[in-house]
Amino acid sequence: MSDKKAVLKALNEKARAIETLAEGEEESARALQEGPPGMPAGCTTVFDTGWETNPRPTYPVGNCQASARDFHGCAGDCWWPAQVPDGLTNHPDVDKQCPNVARDWRKLQYD
Amino acid sequence: MSATYAWADHRLFRWDGEPVLYGVDDVSLFHLDREAAEVLARWRPAEPLVLDQTPPQDRPVLEAFRRARLLVPARARRPRPRPPAGTPLSTLVLEVAQDCNLACRYCYADGGTYHGAPRLLPPAVARRAARYLVDRSGSHGEVTLVLFGGEPLLNLPAVRAAVDEAETAARAAGKRVRFSLTTNGTLVTEEVCEFLHRHRVSVSVSLDGPPEVHDANRPTRGGSGSYRAARRGLALLLGSPRAPVAARVTLPPAQWDRIPEVFDHLIGLGVHEVGIAPASPVTRDLLPTAEQEEALFAGFSGLANRFLAAVGKGEVLPFSNLLDLLARIHLGASRSAPCGAGLGYLAVDTEGRFFLCHRLVGEEPFRVGDLDSGPRPEAIRGCLEALAAPREEPCSRCWARALCRGGCHYENHLRETVLGLPFGGTCGFVRRWIELGIRVYARLCASGHEELLGRIGARARC
Repeated sequence: MSDKKAVLKALNEKARAIETLAEGEEESARALQEGPPGMPAGCTTVFDTGWETNPRPTYPVGNCQASARDFHGCAGDCWWPAQVPDGLTNHPDVDKQCPNVARDWRKLQYD
Repeated sequence: MSATYAWADHRLFRWDGEPVLYGVDDVSLFHLDREAAEVLARWRPAEPLVLDQTPPQDRPVLEAFRRARLLVPARARRPRPRPPAGTPLSTLVLEVAQDCNLACRYCYADGGTYHGAPRLLPPAVARRAARYLVDRSGSHGEVTLVLFGGEPLLNLPAVRAAVDEAETAARAAGKRVRFSLTTNGTLVTEEVCEFLHRHRVSVSVSLDGPPEVHDANRPTRGGSGSYRAARRGLALLLGSPRAPVAARVTLPPAQWDRIPEVFDHLIGLGVHEVGIAPASPVTRDLLPTAEQEEALFAGFSGLANRFLAAVGKGEVLPFSNLLDLLARIHLGASRSAPCGAGLGYLAVDTEGRFFLCHRLVGEEPFRVGDLDSGPRPEAIRGCLEALAAPREEPCSRCWARALCRGGCHYENHLRETVLGLPFGGTCGFVRRWIELGIRVYARLCASGHEELLGRIGARARC
């Protein structure tokens, strides 16, 4: 807000709240991937793998973040049973075998 | 897009030549620099104005007014906020004793009885009411039980029962309960003190100042003065307090010129805070003349000046009226009703009936339910709307509306319904008092006392 002249100085809490509100209203829309921390956590509004990609340098590289988080939830600490390698006990090296699910899925070889 | 804008209702104050703008509906306060004051003066008469078509040199300032909600889209006038109904309870006033050992000349409760025969709140009803408060407090983590009368210390069994039950219920519900008690001080004993201190009861003692002022207002039923007995009780209360002890002063118009000495006398006795209320005109001889009203304002304004001087020395003058007003200005909360009556705040009489507030106990139109069936939200809403209706139009033209919202329900009922006085008898004083508060607030901001204002503001949050 440095381009705005501070010709009015808020004195009480309400005036300060109004100023804060005005600042929030005047922020322009930003694309979700526009730099950190623009990456949404959890579910995304658009599922388009390869666009909102997993920002972490770990597997599954290239998946959308929501799917990457699901994958870890299922494969790592197994809080959600799903068709993914059990990385905790039976396939501890799954991330090395299969860093990119879309490309390397054939290497998975799990039951 | 060429949106048209109009000035939101506002008022410009000056303190030592410094302009301070008050947003009437938002209760917002802004200091203006010289350029802003000039632009405001130039554009104030121009309505509606199209921001995009204003000269580029004025536009940044006008934009700042728009961001401050002082320039608003034309025709976006906001409707008067409606009070909600069915809010959870946060404060319950118990009429512990509808009886009193004093016969104060200005008593609005007809000698403490609120009309009818003297009677005491049965301890079993006190327990039910205390439990009701905790049970119906919704998500409030803290509730307040006020032990009131008449003189509540005439009925110690009910006081003890209410406190015990509220504490038990609050403990079970994981809540905190605060107690406050208003007394004339004459029946305070060491045993009473020990109980009040143990349960951290905040005590307000009704004291009107030096002996001759106090005794003129507050005789015993036998006609002798009550000053000595009240002072003895106060000394006991101040012995080892674990909660603040405040003096609550009520003065009839004839004594309004004695405010400074009343205040000093009470502070000299060691009370932690002094609040001063003009007596309600329960009889026409308590209606003030213009000179008396001037004396009241002079008294309050003198204390406000002393408050400012004390802040300069790092002290806070404990004048409750001003502290409460500054707290409300600090938060800038726009009220939908003048007080919490019916909106989380109710009174229970000795028969377990709910009334809109403690001062309206015994007034049939303001009875809004009982402990058996609970408060009736539609009755509460009906009372509040009936009280608000006659002042809706005049208040909509008043700049102080969002901080005042029409004034005390009881006072309005008394003046307009009982005495048949025209609306607005106290408006002039209220506006001057609120304006004084805004000036004191702006002065404190200008002298860098924001931290103190933050602490004072905390009063209005509870």
